[in-house]
Amino acid sequence: MRPARIASSAAFLFFIFVVQEAAIARINFPFAGYSFYIAVLMGLLAMEDRSAAVMIGFIGGLILDLSPSIDAPFGQWAFVMTVMGYIFAANRESIGDFSTRPAALVLFVSLGATVSLLIFLSVGALLGESDGNFQRILTTSLGNGLWTLLFSPVILPLLSKFRRISLTSRERK
Amino acid sequence: MAQGGNNRSRLLLVILLVTSLFLITLDLRGVSLTQSSRSATQSFLAPIQRVASSAFSPVSHFFSDVKNFGKTKAQLKDVQAANAKLRAQIILNKNAEGQLLQLKSALNLAGRGGYKVVAARVIGRGSVSTFTQTITIDAGSSDGITKDMTVISGAGLVGVVKSVTSNSAIVLLMSDPSFRVGVRIARTQSAGVLLGQGDSSYTMQLLDPAGTIKVGDVLVSLGSENNRPFVPGIPVGRVTSVDHTSASLTQQATVIGLSNLSNLEIVSVITKPATADPRDGLVPTPIPTVTVFVTPAPVVFPSGSPSGSPSPTPSPSQVKK
Repeated sequence: MRPARIASSAAFLFFIFVVQEAAIARINFPFAGYSFYIAVLMGLLAMEDRSAAVMIGFIGGLILDLSPSIDAPFGQWAFVMTVMGYIFAANRESIGDFSTRPAALVLFVSLGATVSLLIFLSVGALLGESDGNFQRILTTSLGNGLWTLLFSPVILPLLSKFRRISLTSRERK
Repeated sequence: MAQGGNNRSRLLLVILLVTSLFLITLDLRGVSLTQSSRSATQSFLAPIQRVASSAFSPVSHFFSDVKNFGKTKAQLKDVQAANAKLRAQIILNKNAEGQLLQLKSALNLAGRGGYKVVAARVIGRGSVSTFTQTITIDAGSSDGITKDMTVISGAGLVGVVKSVTSNSAIVLLMSDPSFRVGVRIARTQSAGVLLGQGDSSYTMQLLDPAGTIKVGDVLVSLGSENNRPFVPGIPVGRVTSVDHTSASLTQQATVIGLSNLSNLEIVSVITKPATADPRDGLVPTPIPTVTVFVTPAPVVFPSGSPSGSPSPTPSPSQVKK
């Protein structure tokens, strides 16, 4: 993975993070909130190879750790997203190419968004954090997964285009 | 070759995981670098959130507005396209009116309590990924706001200032599961602790074993040492049910918050508490219920009462006689 591509992915993710914090977070989604940022990050992870997915996961997690309203130790999201990057890449290799299976990609990304929140909570619990009752956690995680499932068919094609632009002609081959 | 690639990615994974754990350790040990990075992000995001707040204000309650859309659907169908511009203006005006109303009631509550407050607009909300219930307001240390100040709305307590930058601050809402506030029952003065549950309901644990809680009791904040983080006398919530089955020594109750935290637009931060505790002076007074007695008119038969037919129903006043 080229340093220029890491930089462009990081800049893109930071832009999405600003959109999430400034605009998306203000919308009162029914049932539970929706994290546009996590959906985009999961989409990117699903399209990368193993090393790139791990690296982008780490950078994406670090950006998420910058969120001023977060009450978790700095680095917790970086840890979770690095793990998610590895899980995504390892499973993607067994599933195959997503470009011919858009429905599978949407499901994979939605499941990833839910699982990442649950892993974040599990790591938080190990660090002694309390994030509310079980019902609320389940509602938040599943609600976010549901919204990701609904919005992914719109987001993922755009994300795929962005990725194609950021690739060099050699990488495209 | 593929094996080599896998080994490289595993090595990268281990390095990044160790780095993450290193960062977590630094943060837990209170290294200022990690704290200041979030503070810097907040300073960077605040102006963007302020602009986005103005732009997204009409659509931020989109989904709740959609729920009520059906009620006026028939009327909306009759509205011509020429009125579209006017409708948009009305929505903006209503939004401004709502904000004005919230500001007015917040200042009214602060005035009655004798608090010195700084009014602020809500410009952001905590994202779902944070798992905390927070709002970002457009006033910060340059307006005299510091950490651990009480935040109120027109109805009562909203939360407490969690972190501050020069022009913005993050407020931890009272609905957050980590939120705890000392309260007392306005009727009996019994003290207790109110715990956030993640939604609009709260749990209150009474500290006094002999104390009693009743449905409808209003809770006010007990106040903290040096009025930080809570000033005394702020209305907090109303008891909706009392748990009599609990095995604990003291009673527990479910409480509904007086402030509607889901549609906050304007809040006030108490920068200087009142010189004297307002006690129960800020407890909302219930609106008196008007009971209307309907006296049915006597039935008049055209040609006298037929035998065996029921007599007219007497009015309540007649029954009393």
